[in-house]
Amino acid sequence: MNLNKKGMIKVTISAIILLLSLHGFAQTKTDGLQQNSGQRILGNVTTSGVTIGGYAQIDYNDPDGKEVGNLDVHRLVMLLGYKFNEKVSFLTEIEYEHVKEAVVEQAYIQYKATNKMSVLAGLMLVPMGIINEYHEPTTYYGVERPNVDKYIVPTTWREIGIGINGTLDNVSLKYQAYLFNGFSSYNNGVGLLRGVDGLRKGRQKGAESNISSPNFSTKLDFYGIQGLRLGVSGYFGRTQTDDTTLEDSTIGVKILGFDARYRYQKFEFRGQFITTTLSDTEKYNVLTGKDIGSKMYGFYGEVAYSFNLKGVEKITPFLRYEKYNTQAETEGSLAKNLAYNKNELLFGFNYKVANGAAFKVDYQLVNNAVLGSNTTKQFNAGVALWF
Amino acid sequence: MKNNIIILFVSIFFLVAFKPLNGFEKQIIKEIEKTFLINDFSTASISVTNNLKNELPLNITDSNFKKIISNKNAIGYYYTGKAFGKVDYFDYLVIFNLNLSIKKIKILAYREDRGGEIGSKRWLKQFVGKTHLNSFEYNKDIMGISGATISAKSITNQLDKLMKTIQILQLKKLL
Repeated sequence: MNLNKKGMIKVTISAIILLLSLHGFAQTKTDGLQQNSGQRILGNVTTSGVTIGGYAQIDYNDPDGKEVGNLDVHRLVMLLGYKFNEKVSFLTEIEYEHVKEAVVEQAYIQYKATNKMSVLAGLMLVPMGIINEYHEPTTYYGVERPNVDKYIVPTTWREIGIGINGTLDNVSLKYQAYLFNGFSSYNNGVGLLRGVDGLRKGRQKGAESNISSPNFSTKLDFYGIQGLRLGVSGYFGRTQTDDTTLEDSTIGVKILGFDARYRYQKFEFRGQFITTTLSDTEKYNVLTGKDIGSKMYGFYGEVAYSFNLKGVEKITPFLRYEKYNTQAETEGSLAKNLAYNKNELLFGFNYKVANGAAFKVDYQLVNNAVLGSNTTKQFNAGVALWF
Repeated sequence: MKNNIIILFVSIFFLVAFKPLNGFEKQIIKEIEKTFLINDFSTASISVTNNLKNELPLNITDSNFKKIISNKNAIGYYYTGKAFGKVDYFDYLVIFNLNLSIKKIKILAYREDRGGEIGSKRWLKQFVGKTHLNSFEYNKDIMGISGATISAKSITNQLDKLMKTIQILQLKKLL
C-alpha cells in the first residue's frame, strides 16, 4: 500500500510539471522584455552600494524499495555584496544547509587591479571542473549536483586563500591562480580522509582551519569557439595536519580536471573528467586506520535539448551518464572496495519558468562493481531558484 | 607560506603600480582611431527633444551617443552604455558605420568576478555588421557563452534596445 502511495506521488509530481509545461506550449510567444537585475541594488551601484541575491534548492528524494521519501530544503543561500568603489568589492554567500546548519560559502574581497587582472583574497571557491564554481541549482540539470562533483570534486569546495584572475579578450581566455589552504587530513589525533568519499571530510571551509603547507590551484578556460567552452584545472599540494611531528599524518594531493560545455541552438552538451593522485597514503592509512585510495577519478557526459515555451519558459529533457571511483588504486595491503566503483544513469527534465526559477524531475539508476549487487534506483523532484 | 604570500604581494604591487586602469575617454578615442584607421577626429552630439526621449527604449544624452567626424565628414557614430551582470554594472562601447550598422563592440570595464568572458573579441564579432533590421534573440541569433550567461544575455538585450532606439531616431530623421 505504501509503495502505491509513493508511486502516486512520483506520477503526480511528474504529471503536474509536464502539464504546466504543455500549457506553456499553447501560447508560444517570445517576449523580448527582461527584468532588470538592477532592482536588487540598494544605493547607486555605479559608484558604490549593496547588492543582495541568493539561491535555493528544495528536494524530494525517493529511493525505490524504501517506504519513506525525504523532503529537504537542501540549500538556502543569501548573497550579499558591497561595492566600495570602482576597483574594490566584497562578496559573501551565507548558506543554510538542511535548514539547520549555517555556513559561509564565500567571503572574499576583489581588487580590480587592471582590466585584465583582479586580486582576490578570502574564502573562495576552488576552480575545479564545472559545478564547484557554478553551483547555483538553475545552472545545471538534475535535481542534485552530479555525484562526480560530490565524491571526486568535493563541491562546494572552498578554502581561505589569495590569488589572481582575469580574462584576456584577444585570446578568449580566462585564467585563475590561487594559493589556498589545503584539506585537513589529521586533527585531534584522528584521521579525516577515507575511501568512501575521498577528500570530502577534509574540507576545512575556512572554519578555524589549520594550515601547515599552502596548495596551488589554477584553471584556464577557453571560449574562443562559438558555443564551446573548454576548461583545464589543476590543484597541487599536501594536506594539512595539526601535528607536524607526525610526518605520516599528511598526504600529497594532485588533481587534474578537464571540462567542456557546448551549445548549439537548443542542443547542449557538457562533460568533465577529473583525476586525483594521492601520495603517501599507505603510511597515512597505517597511522590513522583509514582506507583512503591512492587514485580516484570520475567523469560524466550529459546531453540536453530545450523546447521553448511561452516567454522565457523552457522544458529541457536531459540524460547523463556518470562514472566515479574513489579507490581506483590503493597502496600497500589495502584491498579496493568495489562498492566505491560506481556508475550512474540519470534522466529527467527541467522546466524553467523564469530566468532563475525551475522545477526539476529526474530518475537515477546507480550501479557498483560488487559482483551480484543490485541497481539502486531513486526518484528526485525539486525546485531550483537563483536571484 | 609566509614567503609565498610576501612574494605574491610584492609582484602584484609592481604589476598594479605601473599599470593603472584606463579612463574611458582615452579608451574610446583609441578604439575609434583604431577602428576607422584615423589619427584625429571630432564628435558632435545628437539633439533629442525631451518628448522623444520618453519614447526611446534607451536614454540618449548629449554625451552617450555621438557622431564621429573626420576631415569635416561624418564617418560613423558611437554609443557608450551600461548593462547589468549578476552583481554589478559593466560599461561597453558600440561603434557604428555611417549607415548605422555595428562596426565594433568593446567592453570598456567589467567589474565583477564572473562573466568577464563577454569581453572576448571573437564573441563580440557576432554583432558586427548587424543593423536594426536584424533580430537579437539570445541563443538563436546570438550564441551565448557558458559561464557568462547572465552578462551575455544582458548585453544582447541592451543592444536590441539600442538598435530599436536607432530605428526611431532614423525615422525621425535625426541620424
